[in-house]
Amino acid sequence: MSRHLNERVFVLLALLLSAVALYRSSLTLSFSDVGSAHSPVFFPQIILVLWIGLTVIALGQTLMQSVKAQPIDGVFRLIILVAASIAYTNLLTMYGFFLTSALFTLICLPVFGMRHPAILTGYAIAVPGALVLLFNHVLGMPLPTSPFTHYF
Amino acid sequence: MKLTSAIGMAFGAALAATGAVAADFPERPINLIAPFNAGGGTDLLLRGLAPHFEEAVGENVFVSNMSGGSGTVAASALQGQKPTGYQMAYMSITVSTIQPQIKNVPYGVDSWTPICSIAASPTMLFVSNDSPFQSMEDVVAAVNAEPGKYVFGSSGPGAITHLSMVSAFSGLDLMDKVKHLPFKGSGPAIKELTAGNIHFFGDTELLMKRGDFRPLMVFNAERLDSFPDVPTATEVGIAAPLNELYLWGGLFAPAGLEQGTVDVLAKACDDAVHSDGFQEFANNSGTVINHRGPEEFNAFFRAQYDANKALISAAGL
Amino acid sequence: MLSSLPDAFALLFNIEGILVLVLGTVLGIILGAMPGIGSTVAVAIVLPFTLSMGQAPAIILLLAVYAGSVYGGSIAAILINTPGTPQSAATCLDGYPMAQRGEAGLALGWATVASVIGGLVSAVVLIFAAPELAAFALEFGPIETFALILLGMTCIVSVSTGSVVKGLLSGMIGIFLSLVGGDPITGEFRFTYDKWQLYSGFNLLAVVIGVFALSEVLIRASQKVNEVSDLVSFKGIVLPKLSDWSGRVRNLVKSVLIGNVIGVLPGTGAATAAFISYAEGRRSSRNSENFGKGEPDGIVSSEAANNAVTGGALVPTMALGIPGDAITAVMLATLTLHGITPGPKLVEDNPALIGAIFTGFFVINLLLLPLGILLSRIAAPVLRVREAYMMTAIVLLCAVGIYFVRGNPFDLLVMGLAGVGGFILRRQGFPMAPLVIGMVLGPTLELTLRQGLILKDGNFLAFFQSPIALVLIIAATIALCLPLIRLGLARTRQVAQ
Repeated sequence: MSRHLNERVFVLLALLLSAVALYRSSLTLSFSDVGSAHSPVFFPQIILVLWIGLTVIALGQTLMQSVKAQPIDGVFRLIILVAASIAYTNLLTMYGFFLTSALFTLICLPVFGMRHPAILTGYAIAVPGALVLLFNHVLGMPLPTSPFTHYF
Repeated sequence: MKLTSAIGMAFGAALAATGAVAADFPERPINLIAPFNAGGGTDLLLRGLAPHFEEAVGENVFVSNMSGGSGTVAASALQGQKPTGYQMAYMSITVSTIQPQIKNVPYGVDSWTPICSIAASPTMLFVSNDSPFQSMEDVVAAVNAEPGKYVFGSSGPGAITHLSMVSAFSGLDLMDKVKHLPFKGSGPAIKELTAGNIHFFGDTELLMKRGDFRPLMVFNAERLDSFPDVPTATEVGIAAPLNELYLWGGLFAPAGLEQGTVDVLAKACDDAVHSDGFQEFANNSGTVINHRGPEEFNAFFRAQYDANKALISAAGL
Repeated sequence: MLSSLPDAFALLFNIEGILVLVLGTVLGIILGAMPGIGSTVAVAIVLPFTLSMGQAPAIILLLAVYAGSVYGGSIAAILINTPGTPQSAATCLDGYPMAQRGEAGLALGWATVASVIGGLVSAVVLIFAAPELAAFALEFGPIETFALILLGMTCIVSVSTGSVVKGLLSGMIGIFLSLVGGDPITGEFRFTYDKWQLYSGFNLLAVVIGVFALSEVLIRASQKVNEVSDLVSFKGIVLPKLSDWSGRVRNLVKSVLIGNVIGVLPGTGAATAAFISYAEGRRSSRNSENFGKGEPDGIVSSEAANNAVTGGALVPTMALGIPGDAITAVMLATLTLHGITPGPKLVEDNPALIGAIFTGFFVINLLLLPLGILLSRIAAPVLRVREAYMMTAIVLLCAVGIYFVRGNPFDLLVMGLAGVGGFILRRQGFPMAPLVIGMVLGPTLELTLRQGLILKDGNFLAFFQSPIALVLIIAATIALCLPLIRLGLARTRQVAQ
């Protein structure tokens, strides 16, 4: 078994386990006892059963054939960008659009091979700054601002 | 206007860093939160109010939308904010008194500083214009004759359209004999009322403008001037507390807001609601203005919170 | 209606009216073309301005921005594979492969012509047949709608490039994601585990932007770095030659019809129409084996249908006072603010205004062609910036777009997680279009199924007693089984050989 085959099986197993866990949790959810069409988990359970069944079929198919997944060229770049994206989307409303976006830009541009310091800083300030200026101060529909000042 | 204020802000930036005391309130833009989508009724009401509020309070006022979870997402988020007075939400009867009692949300009756109430309209029971029912007596007789046949619609479970029907049929002791069919929003429900798939629908007087419907009963203390022939729920035989139901709403800030700030906001709200511009807006949009100051609104809100318990248990929510 | 045309023209063709028409359409196209920013945000941006306008300009501005952004969405979908709206997701399927082949200009040309024709025909239908179509919409109760949505669901099979099983699985994941949050019948929260942030469920746009746009950025980060973002070579729109249309007209006509009919039914919408039309195109087109590999018919199916919906959705709005989708709901509310009551008597009471709105809608669709060509020529150099700038800007714009959809911080996190999840699934050959279909149709499928069961006291057989529903259910069964049977046949033949 190659490394890529493992990755395929691993993703499908993760899908299978999450579906089973969700189904289990739907059994324990306490709802007012009413008829089947009235039950909030009536439809989700149908979908989850289909989900589980399809995952099992896909698992079977995957184990029988050995198709190679595309190799990842830049594992390190990818990990940085995934971490940065999650952090960015999580912190944006807490620390304001401008600060988080500038920081994200400073991480994202080098990942894509842009390392000139002056351009980096210029872009990190100009692009988020322009968006903040446009939405917060011209259109009057503000993006989240930082806890430090209400201007950005 | 927004552009000039932006320039003004740039000049004033240096001054903004100085310390904040209530006497300086407000010193930055005030945010009115609509807990529903942009372009909806609540959103447009706030957008109509904002310019007049802005004029009255002397600082920029902007409307933002935070929708989802029948309004509970915005209320839950606001409840966790510091009471600065710079953020207020327009909450209706359902968001402020119904949802917190039927769902596990992080806010309740004590989470708010009520600022002012703005609007309140009595709800009514409607049938389609080609419906055979001419009065509530017809309805009662028909439902008793064929239990389980008749259906009332709503714009969603727990919405005012649902609660008004619960008031009607629970008040008349017919709840087990009618079916409830919820829709996503009132648009599809009104369509089915026109098409005849549902027989009853509860809403405010505004529904009359949206199609050919006939009101049979109003949940108000007295008959409406605009519909002198439509009996009140009490006349039809519905006892308190289910005989009156209003779709009301007002501005709320998080609990613990300083009295000085409350006074500033309440005064601004009073001026804005009574401004000519907003009166004209209300007239155009069919909004029934019902203004209350902070103390009065607080008492009303708490009374409603308790009174609606009966409604909730009747609805089986 | 025709007698009021002079008054309507007077309302429309003055300086303010023309300015609003042109600027609104331009703004709509630009906003729609930005990855992450779709119709909802575009309308939210112009909404405050409409409050201080007259009746006719206010509605025309909303319409122009709406139609422009639906069209603009196809630009981002084709050129950078990041649909700004769910309704352009189907356009990606053939538009992007065509662009990768070096035919971006032609792909946009097909999209533009199809959009314009779809929009124009729907405008004509709106002007001449609104009352009849509205009466037809009333025939569609919960049971009929359920059957239609079921038919729509079968599109999952036809848009599953690669593995059908994985496509179906994507679809199920999409449906499930759409079910988290408040239950539409009882109002109870399910799969929220007492987190109020989850009460509003997973936002469709946040997931769509995540799995398409953000995961695209991640995929590029995992590949070799390009010096210049030679995403696609694009110099401007190339209109298809008249001779290219031979054999494609039938598909165009059918797509426009599908868009119109589905637009008329409240609660369905442009994304549904685009996918159903795409599936139908794939079934009946003589180029069906090229679908998904950059087939113009695929672009035409999706774009003609989603633009025809804009006119279709106005039918119940204007004839019954019932909004056809979220955007028409905003228009109705705006009308109310201007003292006009939407309802069955709307057209009767305000013939000049409605005439101006309908004519304006026609003109907007005419404007799409020259404005689209002009704007794409101006925008072409933007595509030649370095990949780094482009990718960063996409993420920032997506964040802005998602934040303004409903102002919920949680949606941003959903977008981030959907991006990572989409990246993982796309690497394993899971198509993402079925996930979007599942999320778009899932809530309506559940609601109408349960409404039907409540109305018929739990008797599922009643679903087959409605003639409309029966026809649709049979069509859905055929649509679902045919590809599977064909697949099975092909496989047995392979084994035999």
